Amino acid sequence: MTTASGERVLVRFTVASEPGNERLALAQVAEAVAGTGLTDDQLDRLKTAVAEATMNAIEHGNHNQADVPVDITVVDTGEGVAVSIVDQGGAHAPATAPEVELPDLDKKLAGLQSPRGWGLFLIQNMVDAMDVSTDGDEHTVRLLMRTTWPPRPRDPKGGSRAEQM
Amino acid sequence: MQSKCEATTRSLPGCAVIELRGEVDGSAAATLSAAYDGAVATDEPPCVLLDFARVDYINSTGIALIVSVLAKARAQGRQVIASGLSDHYRQIFAITRLSDFIQLYDDVDAAAASVGVA
Repeated sequence: MTTASGERVLVRFTVASEPGNERLALAQVAEAVAGTGLTDDQLDRLKTAVAEATMNAIEHGNHNQADVPVDITVVDTGEGVAVSIVDQGGAHAPATAPEVELPDLDKKLAGLQSPRGWGLFLIQNMVDAMDVSTDGDEHTVRLLMRTTWPPRPRDPKGGSRAEQM
Repeated sequence: MQSKCEATTRSLPGCAVIELRGEVDGSAAATLSAAYDGAVATDEPPCVLLDFARVDYINSTGIALIVSVLAKARAQGRQVIASGLSDHYRQIFAITRLSDFIQLYDDVDAAAASVGVA
């Protein structure tokens, strides 16, 4: 199965929006990407990013409503692996990305910043690219881990390739 | 959410050891807090060693718990050191700068030797 953009779908599944289910997501993603050429280090980083993005989807997107699923799709883009994590929080997502204070360990240790707030920071540092989009109720975080670098030049005949994120 | 984290504490001269097992995530808050309080309650050790050798998952909420333990220890004048982290979690400790404040060792023996208790 391929997507409209020519990416090969490796797996598509849902998890219920219950705390802890990010472990189910990362296990299924890890199984799906076996053989795609990711190094062990890339796989570990992708698993952490998937877990954090799924946690955010469960908690902030679907508000821990177990009957509202998080949809996860893993594709082989031809240049790497992309994982899309979709929740139903789009309707109340801000029109523009909010200013998020970067986690600062000095401030956290001084009690000037909450100990929490590492999730987005970790995702951004784990993957090669992250794209966030909203379409109606659907809020999508797409994570990309490249297996080829630099990206291949665009095929002028329109062949399959990873989208620019 | 039921905790999937267990903690065992023991004392070495000059260092309390907290051996963690399972998953360090939000559900580990009570376990980690109780383990820290128990570890430092008796002989007021100047150093606390967190051993992650049998931890297979740490998420962002778990990082926040470790930050809280570090903040508490520093406020009490204690050093925190750690052992047994995989390469991946060493990378995360570096990215978050936890490793600027927590010296990392391969295992408990190496950590204990560093504080002179091997």
